[in-house]
Amino acid sequence: MTDSDQMSMNALMITQETPVGYALQPIRKKAAIQLMGSRLWGRFNPNHWDPEYAAATGLKAPIQTGEMSSAYLAEMCVNHFGAAVFAGARIVCKYVAATLAGEVITTHGVVREKIAKGDGYRFVVDIWCDNEAGEKKTVGWVEVDVGV
Amino acid sequence: MSVEITQDRSLSPTSPVQAAQTRAFIKSLEQECQTYWDMVEIGDELSRDLHMTPELIILYADAVEDFNPWYEAWRMNTWQISGESPFGGAIVPPLLVSHFVLSVQFDHTKPFAIGSIHTFHDSEVIKPIMIGATVRITTRAIDKYEKRGRRYVRHAVTVTDVADGTLYFRETRDILSL
Repeated sequence: MTDSDQMSMNALMITQETPVGYALQPIRKKAAIQLMGSRLWGRFNPNHWDPEYAAATGLKAPIQTGEMSSAYLAEMCVNHFGAAVFAGARIVCKYVAATLAGEVITTHGVVREKIAKGDGYRFVVDIWCDNEAGEKKTVGWVEVDVGV
Repeated sequence: MSVEITQDRSLSPTSPVQAAQTRAFIKSLEQECQTYWDMVEIGDELSRDLHMTPELIILYADAVEDFNPWYEAWRMNTWQISGESPFGGAIVPPLLVSHFVLSVQFDHTKPFAIGSIHTFHDSEVIKPIMIGATVRITTRAIDKYEKRGRRYVRHAVTVTDVADGTLYFRETRDILSL
């Protein structure tokens, strides 16, 4: 990572002064069959990568495993909270609709609440993923300590 | 408006040889299986150990296109490296172990219950897991319930260090069963 890249990342970091209502910077990923069906992810179930099999089971297209969208959301949170995500954070996700192969998924997050804790705050952030049409796929929230 | 992609082979182009190999692989997966609802009894506990190798972490992170250098204890040309993170060496992505819970809560000695869908997780990332650690993932079925005509199985999960018992991660998760 270059110094300028590092400075850009540092600018994303949430601090004790970050206000309620602050919107996290989204990240965007394409639900690519070649990744959805990789051995470590969905290879065990053809619904995750084979269009014909998925169609035979009534799906419009192969569907991503929900954990992939959880990973996207976690990446966004690490961008903003850094090391704090690995020490006492809570990540809650509900998969409300299937992500179809080919869709472009965007993550979102908005600070809902700051709860005083120790010398800092426990931030509560609403998070979700949606597709190009704004249809929500995964919804939830995270709790992360900042300056505690 | 959602994208219509029914059987769009352009998403996964194949030659006749690849198509035949794919069909053969899918056929190999066919086996008699129970529904997840019927496979699990409340109180069932399963546990498996997983070594957090650098290559495993790379395979996970690459598939979700997460290229954070904190997760790199393997780099092309150099290969194994200690890596760097705020915790010293390279660490495991926060929800990686959650992904592997599936391989524990579905008894891997039995046929996989296709038709089951992971619908929810409530995860606590308690401490960072350093790459190189071996963790024990333990799942316990704590509830089976029906909601709006659908059947769910709920598990409580812990992830601990095999060497010293450190609690890294805790989770509650639901599987929707046929």
